[in-house]
Amino acid sequence: MSLSSAVITFPGSNCDRDAQTYLEILTNQDTHKIWHKDVLLPKVDLLIIPGGFSFGDYLRSGAMAAKSPIIDDVLKHAERGGYIIGICNGFQILTEIGLLDGALNRNVKLKFLAKNCFIKKNHENNFNKKISQDQCLSIPVAHNEGSYYNSEEGLKLLQDNEQISFLYCDEEGNTTDSSNLNGSLNHIAGITNKKKNVLGLMPHPERAFQDFHTSQDGQLILESLLG
Amino acid sequence: MNTELILKHGLTLDEYEVINNYLKRELTMEELGIFSAMWNEHCCYKTSKKWLKKLPTSNDIVIQGPGENAGIIDVQDDDAIAFKIESHNHPSYIEPFNGSATGVGGILRDIFTMGARPIATLDSIRFGDLSNFKTKYLVNGVVKGIGHYGNCIGIPNIGGECEFDHSYNYNNLVNAMAIGHVKKDSIFYSEPKTIGGLIVYIGSKTGKDGIHGASMASDVFSEDDEDSKRPSVQVGDPFMEKLLMEGCLELMNAKLIESMQDMGAAGITSSSVEMASKGNLGVEINLDKIPLREPLTPYEILLSESQERMLAVILEENNEKVKNILKKWEIDYEVIGKVTDTKKVIFKSKDKIVVNLPVDIIVDLAPEYDRPFNLPLKRKVQNYDFSELNLKICLDNILKNINYSHKSWVYDQYDSTVMGDTIFEPGGSSGVVKIHNSKKAIGATTDCSPLYIRINPEKGMAHTVLESYRNLISSNIKPMAITNNLNFASPLDQNIMGELVLSISGLKKTAEYFNTPIVSGNVSLYNQTNEEPIKPTPVIGCVGLNENYKTLVPSCFKSENDKIFMNGQMLEKKNSPYFLQDHLNIKQINQFNDLVNEDFELEKIHQKFIFNMFKKELIQSANDISRGGVIYSLIKMIKSKLGFSIKTQNELDLFVECLAGYILVVNQQNCQNFTKEANIANIKLIELGIVKKEIIEINQSKLNFNSIYNSYMNNFADKINN
Repeated sequence: MSLSSAVITFPGSNCDRDAQTYLEILTNQDTHKIWHKDVLLPKVDLLIIPGGFSFGDYLRSGAMAAKSPIIDDVLKHAERGGYIIGICNGFQILTEIGLLDGALNRNVKLKFLAKNCFIKKNHENNFNKKISQDQCLSIPVAHNEGSYYNSEEGLKLLQDNEQISFLYCDEEGNTTDSSNLNGSLNHIAGITNKKKNVLGLMPHPERAFQDFHTSQDGQLILESLLG
Repeated sequence: MNTELILKHGLTLDEYEVINNYLKRELTMEELGIFSAMWNEHCCYKTSKKWLKKLPTSNDIVIQGPGENAGIIDVQDDDAIAFKIESHNHPSYIEPFNGSATGVGGILRDIFTMGARPIATLDSIRFGDLSNFKTKYLVNGVVKGIGHYGNCIGIPNIGGECEFDHSYNYNNLVNAMAIGHVKKDSIFYSEPKTIGGLIVYIGSKTGKDGIHGASMASDVFSEDDEDSKRPSVQVGDPFMEKLLMEGCLELMNAKLIESMQDMGAAGITSSSVEMASKGNLGVEINLDKIPLREPLTPYEILLSESQERMLAVILEENNEKVKNILKKWEIDYEVIGKVTDTKKVIFKSKDKIVVNLPVDIIVDLAPEYDRPFNLPLKRKVQNYDFSELNLKICLDNILKNINYSHKSWVYDQYDSTVMGDTIFEPGGSSGVVKIHNSKKAIGATTDCSPLYIRINPEKGMAHTVLESYRNLISSNIKPMAITNNLNFASPLDQNIMGELVLSISGLKKTAEYFNTPIVSGNVSLYNQTNEEPIKPTPVIGCVGLNENYKTLVPSCFKSENDKIFMNGQMLEKKNSPYFLQDHLNIKQINQFNDLVNEDFELEKIHQKFIFNMFKKELIQSANDISRGGVIYSLIKMIKSKLGFSIKTQNELDLFVECLAGYILVVNQQNCQNFTKEANIANIKLIELGIVKKEIIEINQSKLNFNSIYNSYMNNFADKINN
């Protein structure tokens, strides 16, 4: 299947080019570059909201980007059933605009954390269907606010609706305190919305897909979408 | 003008006399400020210039040597690489977070000012003893500051060094290096060309921060300075710098700029004088037009070091286009003056001329000193008793010494994979990034062995440069060019001045022999507090090229049963300074033997052999041998629980330093070919042993793999967190 795509750049986004490279190499077609002040998205299958420090993380990560002009059309794209992946700061923005539930808090050790981590699939959806249940993906994280939080009821809803896509784990797939490197609630690394067309993910698959990267596991997420 | 005022501005009375004789009039306060900013050590290199001139700075790959914002080398096709290292030592001691953050910000501006997109940073940081009350606070603040700035702007940090030594107790060192990529036909320089060209101010508004920062960086600390000097430390905003970088690169891509200069040390003063001087032209600037954060006097505006600001020259017809691009990035922009043919620097405020100086008096008449210096005394031969030492004790020394510990506590706080082109992250023998959309890989390393340089500055510097080559070569990267950061104590001390002169001489000799010119650099003097000088710390940043990233060689073990060899020449224990310091606890410099001579011929033969072996694909992985010897190199190569089993005749030899020393790991099936090639090349190999899973074994005695590996990995965090 062919997949058309777009990437939004906010002032302070710094993984927009990385996301574009990821999309263009794996989908084998050009990606639309969208500026945050644009008001209309092109008709595309997949939209990536990239990582970075939109608006310098001032006020709160993702809070200012949530007020950008393009956001109205992002909401419509989601409503139409279009796919969205928010990576890192993109995940934070998706929670700020209400497409995803919960929030990303400061890492439990209160330090920026940049290292390779392992994640595994939890509930199956279109973003992870090419990944087997016992497979551990090696993918880098780089964030200061990545500790997923939700209320008890919120968490129950995520579980009941099977919205928890990815969990942090160790190399063997065990979810332990030390594998949960940022202290996320229930080891959560990525969730979807109820309709399962919007994914928020703290690790960066766009830094783990080329032959010179430490791992190529990031391909599997886009390949899942490509069907 | 009153004497006290002159001295307070860091000028000597003799220097003032030179100005007075030339101008034949009294200076205005603003003009005095300009001389204070331009004639200090940080801006005009008055102590080091005489010696720096002797360095090799050009060859057929150098596009731009020292004298611009950064050096630039040709890396074939239409690609060029800009790079430079710069210190932010003094501010980082006074205010570690902002001091180090703005160090990163400053060096990144130097890169993108030239039209290059930054693709990597490295940092070389040094602190006092951990037992010193302030050290942990400084380490935490400096690392956080470097991370904060680099992570936010989104440039990967790919390596560096972190050392602890008591000589940095009151003067920590923070040297930041940045590397950028630019197409050869898209390089921008600071030289304006068009008389009548508009001078535009781009970036953050000007505030009171950093006033007299450059002259502070040219001064000795006294203990009570810390609080009073804090307002001289600049405050950085990486988000603003990200916008400024994208805005400037977009302007340059559209060829809307004629020349550009960043406002770094000494702010608008230094940048405008620099431009006028480069173009052999004049500038006329209206200070009332400068975007201000708060009300400032002309004097304060001239000396402010507010961050994230640029000065550019554009043609009038491009003004609207420039304005629109900068508006998109929400960056302040103002036309503040024009380029003239007067060869004068003129600043106006409220229709009054506050500064009216010929450019040549500021630049050409700037003082250059030939300070007296001492040559080091001849050393007596020392003998030592090693009878108390054994394998277990020495291994324990290494595992407990934070200088040997794995530094992931530091670089796990730095984003090293953003931009998606990182190939080797920090922790290996060199950091490597790929040029985007190309097969070419750029490797870089920072190195310094201050102990060596204190013992013998000239030889010590040669050994330091050779080590930086070996770091790159281990990864199959050809060393191309060098940037240097000369950190020393007060040059008014003749012994220190001697260290400066001789280490430059060692750098010159080595760089000339191996044809790796010095294309940029920075000097930081007066790193001493009262009578406590730092060890001489001339840091080398070496940049190299690999033409096809698929041929890069990792510095970790790859598979079990691979054979481990070493080449090079082990030093005797008594000639191995770090061995003596770290195992016999020798501290007094006169207790060390002189350094062995560097051996360029030997290094070259080994370099050639190793590159040849890489080319024949006979080597699985490689690492250089330096402080800590063979055993430490092997511990650093452990990965995925792959350890080693080795044999040696003398166990203590595993801890000594080497000349031209490398660990080379070879797949069993290639061993015959490999040893044959070594024979032909006349290279003496020592077969150490094999790679073994979850085992560290020396002369058939098994050591506890997990306990050694875990203490190597965790010691740093344990020490810093407690």
